[in-house]
Amino acid sequence: MTWLTLFKVNMKRELILIKRYWMNTLSMIVSFYIIFLAMFLGIQVVGDPSTAELNTQYVIINYIFWYLTMAVMSGIGWVVMNEVTLGTLEQLYMSPLGAWRIFLARIVSSTIVEIGIVIVMLILSMLTAGTWLNLDILSIFPIFVLTIISMIGVSFMIAGMAVIFKQINSFLQISQFIFAGLTFVPLSVAPFLVFFPVVKGVDMVRQIAIHNYTLADFSLMDYTALILNAIVYLVLGIIVFSRCERHAMEKGILGQH
Amino acid sequence: MMDIVKVTNVKKSYKKRKTKELVQAVKGINFTIKKGEIVGLLGPNGAGKTTTIKMMCGLLVPDEGEIYINGIDIQKRRLEALRHISVVLEGNRNIYWRLTVKENLEYFAGNRGFTKKQIQEKMDHLLERFNLKEKENEMVNSLSRGMQQKVAIAIALLADTEVIYLDEPTLGLDIETSYEIRRLLKEIVQEEQKTIIISTHDMPVVQEICERVIIVNHGKVVVDDRVDNLLQLFESKAYRFTLLKPLSDWQKEVLKKEFIVTISENDNNQTILDVNITTSEGFYKITEILEKEQTPIEKIDRSIVDFEEVFMNIVKGEKEIDLAHTV
Repeated sequence: MTWLTLFKVNMKRELILIKRYWMNTLSMIVSFYIIFLAMFLGIQVVGDPSTAELNTQYVIINYIFWYLTMAVMSGIGWVVMNEVTLGTLEQLYMSPLGAWRIFLARIVSSTIVEIGIVIVMLILSMLTAGTWLNLDILSIFPIFVLTIISMIGVSFMIAGMAVIFKQINSFLQISQFIFAGLTFVPLSVAPFLVFFPVVKGVDMVRQIAIHNYTLADFSLMDYTALILNAIVYLVLGIIVFSRCERHAMEKGILGQH
Repeated sequence: MMDIVKVTNVKKSYKKRKTKELVQAVKGINFTIKKGEIVGLLGPNGAGKTTTIKMMCGLLVPDEGEIYINGIDIQKRRLEALRHISVVLEGNRNIYWRLTVKENLEYFAGNRGFTKKQIQEKMDHLLERFNLKEKENEMVNSLSRGMQQKVAIAIALLADTEVIYLDEPTLGLDIETSYEIRRLLKEIVQEEQKTIIISTHDMPVVQEICERVIIVNHGKVVVDDRVDNLLQLFESKAYRFTLLKPLSDWQKEVLKKEFIVTISENDNNQTILDVNITTSEGFYKITEILEKEQTPIEKIDRSIVDFEEVFMNIVKGEKEIDLAHTV
């Protein structure tokens, strides 16, 4: 019940701010539409017609994952930096539910909103381009959710840095390239990346989207790696975040700008 | 009555950012606060008030000592302790400026686990009481500083905790708004039976609202007593001399050096010397200073003391004051 209340108020806040900062929202919507449309039309025009469909699916899935990875992984860090700037961070820390739960509710809410926008824009651009992706949403969804859990774990680690150092914009910018590497490099090229966040999930989604896999086609090993990855990174992320919080509270720098 | 807040031998040091010099902000503070008490936490800038409040909120970890809220150790069971506390921190950024008044109230209550249904009645009551009903759908950034402060206090009250900390609730407000906030706080105190700890420089707030004050200076508690007792104590030491001749520069200098004095002029162009005298020797010393320049005394009266003078006397550390009731 508490989780639900927390999620509801944070989702409501997210929707209010999306409406209130409408220009920013509009820019995001238009950007997605243009990018997706450019991918559909670009590959059709420039690429090999026999592989155009596969290439489009590959690029779009990689792009969506890269975007969401970026948004989720840096999400809590941005929330912390923003709250520090606004001066409201310490008020959030007065919640008996714990600030980490509020941040989790925030990142889940913002991710749902962003996924919603991505899906709508993807459909709109497919309608415009007259090309349809052959995506098995039902198979992709559970893998996608587990992948996002590991992203949230990393997001907590980055947020821990933000709690101590406050401004980590440069780090977040550099990390874009690292995240791009993780989402674009196939696991077959670098198998050790299975221990990294996101990679296993993206790889499995690629198998579904490009090689028409279903959930039944994956081995127990695949699921074990995916689930363990999600749990380990989430738990590790929350532990790292709590340690950073404690450090900030000891040094008296929690709400310091 | 039980102790709802217990602070035992709390110490906190910081390293200065630039010089890395270690500064002891709080040097072993002890006090207890009973349920339903209204306590002023006072002290000059840098005395350690905000540090103490933040430690009492669990936002800052003490180097040493323990803090219990309703019997719960805030260091060991922070989230559990937070169920009993709400706070309005110093400054005007306790709330979201891009949300409306109502959205702010709902958001912060939601973050404490309250559903909209649970808070609706109380929220409406608070909006009415704080004269915010008409502004409930206005964004906070369009409100005056006083209104914003009222929203922040309303959020703290909506949390319905037994203990409320208010850090400088009237700071930066104009006289009228400051008076209104004072009136509201007084009403809350009378009606809600909360334990309220107010850190402030606004002495009328203390005199009107607080039953007891804890004065912190240089990181230590220097006075912990009832406001009435302190006023009584200092009233017996405050004198007003009406003089028939202006004071010379030499007299002014000596008096200011030796005593805490205020020199003014009344409507009859007489010089008024308000001074705190704590010993009979002090009394003789003043008359001696006046006699030296042959300044005639028309009369000597007992002064009416307000809490500002009491505070200034304590903080300025007048050596001769016999703080019989202090720690």
